[in-house]
This record gives sequence, C-alpha cells and structure tokens, in this order.
Amino acid sequence: MLLVLEDEHKKHLSFLPSVDIAVVKEFCRISMEFIRKGTNPKVYTSAAQKLGVEANSVQNGVEGLMYLLTEASKLLLSEIDYQDSIMVLGFSEELRSMLLELYIEHSGEIRTILSELSMDLPHYHNLEWRFDVQLASRSLRRQITPQVLFKLHTETYGERKTQVLQTDPVNLVHLTKVLDEALQEMKSPYCRRIVRNIK
Amino acid sequence: MELSSSVLEEITLAGDNAHISDKVFSDLVKHACQGLLSDKNKNSVADEAIFKDTDKGSLKSAYSGIITLLTEATKWDVESSSIGALLEDCKYTTDRINSFNNIYLSKKPLIQILLGSIGKSPPHIVDVDWRLDYYIKNNHLDKVNEPVYLITLKTEVAGQSELQEVQFSCSLEQLQDLVGKLKDSTKCLEKLGQMS
Repeated sequence: MLLVLEDEHKKHLSFLPSVDIAVVKEFCRISMEFIRKGTNPKVYTSAAQKLGVEANSVQNGVEGLMYLLTEASKLLLSEIDYQDSIMVLGFSEELRSMLLELYIEHSGEIRTILSELSMDLPHYHNLEWRFDVQLASRSLRRQITPQVLFKLHTETYGERKTQVLQTDPVNLVHLTKVLDEALQEMKSPYCRRIVRNIK
Repeated sequence: MELSSSVLEEITLAGDNAHISDKVFSDLVKHACQGLLSDKNKNSVADEAIFKDTDKGSLKSAYSGIITLLTEATKWDVESSSIGALLEDCKYTTDRINSFNNIYLSKKPLIQILLGSIGKSPPHIVDVDWRLDYYIKNNHLDKVNEPVYLITLKTEVAGQSELQEVQFSCSLEQLQDLVGKLKDSTKCLEKLGQMS
C-alpha cells in the first residue's frame, strides 16, 4: 500500500530541499517534538528569521513533515512502501534516507500517541477479591453466608474508577465458567480464520 | 430472645380459646407466615372468611403477636423447645404448641432468607454477558487488529426490582488476567469447602 501525497502537501514539502540538510534534520526534530507536545508557532518565526525565509514556509515544511509521519504511521506503511511513497517528491537520496530513518525510528512512538487519541471505552484494569462469611446482621443472627467481594478497577482515558461488587460461590463458578468460554472463543477455528484474513 | 410484655400479652391472647378458637388457630399462624413472606398477603387475614366469627380487635392483636414471635424467633434462631417453653408460659396447650412449631419450622428457611435480605450490600453479581469484537481501525489509526471483549456484569441491587449492569471492555490479555483471578478465588473457595 502506498501513501498518496496530495499536491498541496507536496508543495509544502518542496521547501525542504532548498535548505541545508542540517536544517532539515532540525526540522525533523521539531516535528517529532510537536507531535509529542503540540505545536508552538514561536519556533516557526525564530527559525524563519535565522534562515532568512518566510515563517509560513517553515511552518508548511514542519507541518508537512508531521503530516507525512502521522499518515505513514497511521497506515503502518512498510519501509519499502514508505520509500516508494516519498519517491514522488523528487528529493535527493541523502534527504530520502534521512526521512526513512526518521520514520523507522519514530513510527512506533507515533502509533502509541495516535492510539492514546483513539476512542476509549471503560476498560478493565485490575480485580481484587476477598472471601468473607457473613455471620450476623441486625435482622438475622447466626448466619453462615459465604460471600465473595470484588473490587473492580476500570480505566477510561487514563482515569481510574473502582467499584465494589459481591457474589456468592455458585455465581462465582458460573461467572468464571462463562468468561473462560469467552476466552476460548478467540482460539476457535472461526475466529482464527477471520483474524488471519484481516491483515 | 426477649419480648416485651405487650407482645407477650398478644401472644397469650392468640393462644386463648376464648378469643382465637382451636379451629382457626393454625390458619392464623399460616396467614401470619404468608403475610410476613409476601407483601401481597399482608392484609389477607382481614378478608378471610374463616375468621368471620372472630372478634376483629382480638384477631388484630393475635396476628401482630404471632408475627412478632415468628420474626424474633427466626432472627435469634431459637430452638423449638425454647419456643415451646415460651408458649407454655403464655398458657398454650400442647396441641397449639405443636401446631405452631410445625407450621413455623416449615416456613423458617424462607423467613431466614427474607430477614437475610434486609440491609445494604454491594451490587450482587448474578450473571454475565460477553461479546467478542475484532478492533480493526479508528479515525486515527489503521491496522489496530486486536480482539476486544465487551463484558456486562448483571447485578442485583437491594430495593431495585430490575437487574443493573456493569459494563467494561477487555483486551485478550486483560480478560486472561480477569479469568485467572476468578479461577484463583474459585480454587480458594473449593479448598475452604473441603476443609469444613
């Protein structure tokens, strides 16, 4: 699969060959910084002053790089596909190999950042359990009611939530059995076939 | 078990043939059990034809006395011999004592469940639903390609007639962790069961 670059994107990136390779390297560093922490327009103006070019060109160059990196990481492009995709830019081999290096080095991190942006559902984090026997209550003395108490920790967008739940031995066995079946389902020939076919 | 003098008076009244005849005594105890166990039957004693010859005021007092005795005896898990002794003090005949104990003992487990359900407890898990999805992509990321389980725990909450739900998602590893922990607790429970 190739990443098809739009004309405007190509135009923005065409600024890169016009500056020194060391400057492009700096742009690459800044792009990664911005992907991690968000953009900072002040950097564009100060860089433009040093280079004696329009701030807009710097901004387009850096943001073009950011877009290239995130799109390629989003699609999980292979090295070869990535190289073929940037071929159309007509850059020198030195510049291309630098962009490749940048991609190889950072695509994992960028995917992690993108996955943090993705929609999140409350998900399981941890389960604590303890076993109690209820001996008495205000309305009924002399009981022996076995009880399993759970503290369920879930997480959404990094925010933890805990819930206290309880169950009895019969339901505990049932719960364990049903969830174990769910787990086995993923190993079934049907699920494995589907997973094999979605690549 | 300690009962106040007014309750003892009511119990005595229920045992007195002059107020509650031998014919209706066992029906009174049966109605008291039903009234205690189900809200629907709470007032059934008032409309019952068997009690049409019984004085309404006496019936009410006797009913209240029997209900209190049933509840307190269950709460403290009193032996039938002690109940017998108490009823004897209230001038009950042996027939009435036996009749009371027979009806009471047959309903005692149900009354225990009723009394045990009073009070607050965390949501009680009674069932679980699951669904298995394969997460393919989202607007930020292609080729996510991992299984996701959606788990719904069905819980009973005191005072609510409908089952409540606790929902969360799990990756394969997270579900393995969860099932592992549940298996640990099941094993612990089985070991304890064998000990006793």
